[in-house]
Amino acid sequence: MMGLPSALMHGLWLGLLRAVALLVPAWRRTDWLREWRAELWHVRRECAQKCIQSGRARWRVEWEVAAFSLGSIQDARFLRQTRSFRTIRRIPLATTMGSASQCVLFLSGVLVLSGSLALLLPGVRAQMFRIHYRQANRLVMIQDAQYAGDSQATIAGEQFVAWSRRRQDVFEEFAFYQMRHETVREAGETLASRRPPLAVAHASANLLELLGIPVRFSPRANGAIAGLPQVILSDDAWRRKFGSDAHLLGSVVWAGQRQAVVAGVLPPESWRLPGAVDAWLLLPEGELRTAGEGFLVGRVKHLGDVAGWGERWRLSARKADGTDADLLCISLAERARTPWSLFLFSVLMACLALPATTSLPLGEYPQASNRLSWSTRLRRWSFLASKLVLLLPIVYFVSIDLAYLEGVGRRDALSAQTIQLAASFALCLFGLRWVLRDQRQRCPVCLGKLTHPARVGQTSRTFLDWNGTELICVGGHGLLHIPEMPTSWFSTQRWLYLDPSWEVLFLEEELVSAG
Amino acid sequence: MAEGVKLSHTAAMILQAVNAGYVYGFSVMEMTGLPSGTVYPAMRRLERDELILSHWEDQKIADAEQRPPRKYYKLTRAGKTTLEASHKRYPLLVKLIPIEEPMHEKERV
Repeated sequence: MMGLPSALMHGLWLGLLRAVALLVPAWRRTDWLREWRAELWHVRRECAQKCIQSGRARWRVEWEVAAFSLGSIQDARFLRQTRSFRTIRRIPLATTMGSASQCVLFLSGVLVLSGSLALLLPGVRAQMFRIHYRQANRLVMIQDAQYAGDSQATIAGEQFVAWSRRRQDVFEEFAFYQMRHETVREAGETLASRRPPLAVAHASANLLELLGIPVRFSPRANGAIAGLPQVILSDDAWRRKFGSDAHLLGSVVWAGQRQAVVAGVLPPESWRLPGAVDAWLLLPEGELRTAGEGFLVGRVKHLGDVAGWGERWRLSARKADGTDADLLCISLAERARTPWSLFLFSVLMACLALPATTSLPLGEYPQASNRLSWSTRLRRWSFLASKLVLLLPIVYFVSIDLAYLEGVGRRDALSAQTIQLAASFALCLFGLRWVLRDQRQRCPVCLGKLTHPARVGQTSRTFLDWNGTELICVGGHGLLHIPEMPTSWFSTQRWLYLDPSWEVLFLEEELVSAG
Repeated sequence: MAEGVKLSHTAAMILQAVNAGYVYGFSVMEMTGLPSGTVYPAMRRLERDELILSHWEDQKIADAEQRPPRKYYKLTRAGKTTLEASHKRYPLLVKLIPIEEPMHEKERV
């Protein structure tokens, strides 16, 4: 008969054993706990008897029982490690992502890595959070139809002036710019300081407003110093050429031979029209040089008028000298396309192409499913869904990482878009293909990778019997039959559930293999 | 499996104790002086390597003595072979734990 303190201590150690038992693999937990509880009982009794015989203090019993009970932690840890060792051996890592959790963890890791890279790379970050052009589908670049590319200036300045003044049927507003190379220096700076010339766009005053690009850091942008045109610097030029000097904003500078006030900085990656521009000199219409060619941007009056014309359409217009000009109008929607819209397009294309690369059905799984609980079935579909959910953002991030790896403005916008489109299409197509193939090669019960492939049957007997490959779930849940050649009666892989009588065999095998 | 198994001194001592008739964990602990955190994992390992086998005591015997049933261990044939090989490696093992019929074994039988 135990006293109250001894009974309390005994209860405490039993509680410890129950807690430690949670570390033990479930299949041997009951047996383990039973053995340790029995041993604890005997240890207490034998220690108590020894104490009485030797006349030692009672606390010595508790001390020895405590030392004995704490050993259970090492025993449980040993069994747990042995179990995990078995698991790793049972599902070789060579097949990669053997278990469902390994697979999800791997995909999550790739997602975190690619997402972090996207946030760390300035070019990628700028693309992800870039500014949208206002009504980009109503804006068009207008150029001479003789030139297929849009990198060459083809519209004369006098033409812009003439068209701006004339009443238009299709367009409601024009903006124009010409590229120059000029030195931009502060008012106090001498010519001797020899600043390198910048690529300056002499633009009509409404250019940035027409595009809908906001200007940053513009303290006196609108109330500019009377009579002086405004200069807007690109973010890159402001940082590199002027060392991010905040005092420059609002001050008067020399842009070539003309004085202008610095009215702000354009956000990075917001300029997507032809020409690598360091600064925009916004001039009233009368001050633009009419000589020389430039780029013309127009905004159509009604979207409905041009909606059916596509992204490139031709137009004839009367020139100032009375002859007709054949013009090509290219929608800015093409240039203003965001990485997200390209990604969605490529996902759609990959989904369409997917049936050509792999079969879509996941195989035949018999409805033997008094054995399968609804939670097991739900887990299988949740696993497929989580792979898809993780795959799509990975494709998005990796494709924009590749497209804009070189940084802002280093690569032409259209070539970067091409890289993104190709990368996201390829990644999405092969990713979806892998998701389906991986799902087909997993046990529907434990979601582990099927192993031990064995060739069954003879090829010569295809039409009398069947031949193919059999894979087995090492947990003993079933067999997968994959036909070598799909026939009308065995067109896709079939799963065969093993009944519970097989479980003993697999348990035995597990014990043997553990050695 | 048993051939070629080289036991550590601790494992050989536990195997010798089981062979000497100390057939449950606590008696092995008492005989060898090893703590429970060493003895039980070592016995799991020996069982995994098929050198010892475990079985539960008959419930009726335990009920008659008003105590919980114990789990007993005994050597397998492979265990005996390995132990004989270990005697060559650790000659003092037999003197350390001589084979005799302990009280616990008598109780069990």
